[in-house]
Amino acid sequence: MVRLITHNLLACHAKDCNTNNFPLAFKDVQLEIREAEFNPEFLRGFLPKLEWTALVDTAKQLGDTSLPVEQPEMLDDEFLKNLHHVLLEIHVEEGSMTCPNCGHVYPILNGIPNMLLAEHEIG
Amino acid sequence: MAPRTLQSATVEGDPGVYEDQNVHMIYEEIASHFSSTRYKPWPIIADFLASLTTGWVGLDSGTGNGKYLPLPADRPGEVWTIGLDRSKNLLDIARRAGSTGIVREVVVGNVLDNPWRPGIFDYAISIATIHHLATHERRCSAVKRLLESVSPNQGRVLIYVWAIEQDELSKRKVVEDQDPTPTIGKDVVVPWVLSTQQTAVTEKCATPRVYNRYYHMFAKGELVGLVNEAARELGLQVEPKAESTTKNIRGVEVVQDGWERSNYYVELKLWQT
Ligand SMILES: [Zn+2]
Repeated sequence: MVRLITHNLLACHAKDCNTNNFPLAFKDVQLEIREAEFNPEFLRGFLPKLEWTALVDTAKQLGDTSLPVEQPEMLDDEFLKNLHHVLLEIHVEEGSMTCPNCGHVYPILNGIPNMLLAEHEIG
Repeated sequence: MAPRTLQSATVEGDPGVYEDQNVHMIYEEIASHFSSTRYKPWPIIADFLASLTTGWVGLDSGTGNGKYLPLPADRPGEVWTIGLDRSKNLLDIARRAGSTGIVREVVVGNVLDNPWRPGIFDYAISIATIHHLATHERRCSAVKRLLESVSPNQGRVLIYVWAIEQDELSKRKVVEDQDPTPTIGKDVVVPWVLSTQQTAVTEKCATPRVYNRYYHMFAKGELVGLVNEAARELGLQVEPKAESTTKNIRGVEVVQDGWERSNYYVELKLWQT
């Protein structure tokens, strides 16, 4: 499963790839929407750890434009519900993620991303 | 069942290749049978997960069948634990862990890698995983990866490994010739017997298949020693945060360590000034 909650934490870890290695770019994705229970308290706690611009841009690539470009100061219910949907209800089932720096491709199969590297690619 | 004596293991050749053959390939094969025997969370781990702050996100490094991903069960969705494992087959089970039908977040990866933004997690757990790494250096690296994966400010870490010291309920007994107070653990293989009914129907073997998994059984004090070594290599002081005004000091506090049901555990908390 790769939802944007996880995507926002992942970074390329190939040998010598330490800068501009986030966010990984989705390619050829198949999406599935699954409803998840809304938990505003979780979202409030998690919000400071998000890389906001990466989240907004990635959501846009996946066809969701509900999030504002700037993180709002007032966290109203409508905003939190949109954030909930983007982070926890959009599942990338198939496709891949490409590192913006070194171009390494991490495949996603049956909803599970594969972050393993070959021995010579490990830093 | 009478206690069995475990066979010693000798790690030969490249340790990564050795682990592939003596750990990873086996879990891939026995995944569903293994998972059916692993359901009860150990109390110290359940307590640790119950104490997490709402809004926290954590890493379960070597999640296996994902039995800790649904915890704490009485506060669903208040924290999110992301499972990492080498075994794709175990992760297929882990993504459905818990009886609620909630889908979990899981990632295929190696516990010696850090495919994450540095220090992004609030907590990390490593349960029954580091003892599958075949050298001291690799076990130390795995601890370093855990320390690097959590927030330098307040990150919490819980590590569990198999102990030489086994409780009387355990079916297993360590190698006979053991030193009564060893300081270094023992490398052993632990058999996993898969009877014919549990293997794939296409398989025509009449006798049960035995898979010998590699384990490093930890000696008393070895896990805390490993934490000290890993912390030192990362420039972290191993002590509680002092009431000091000196800036830019980073450290890790050993919150608790001990033995529970044939395992050693250590709980850590990072801090910086
Ligand atoms: Zn890269």
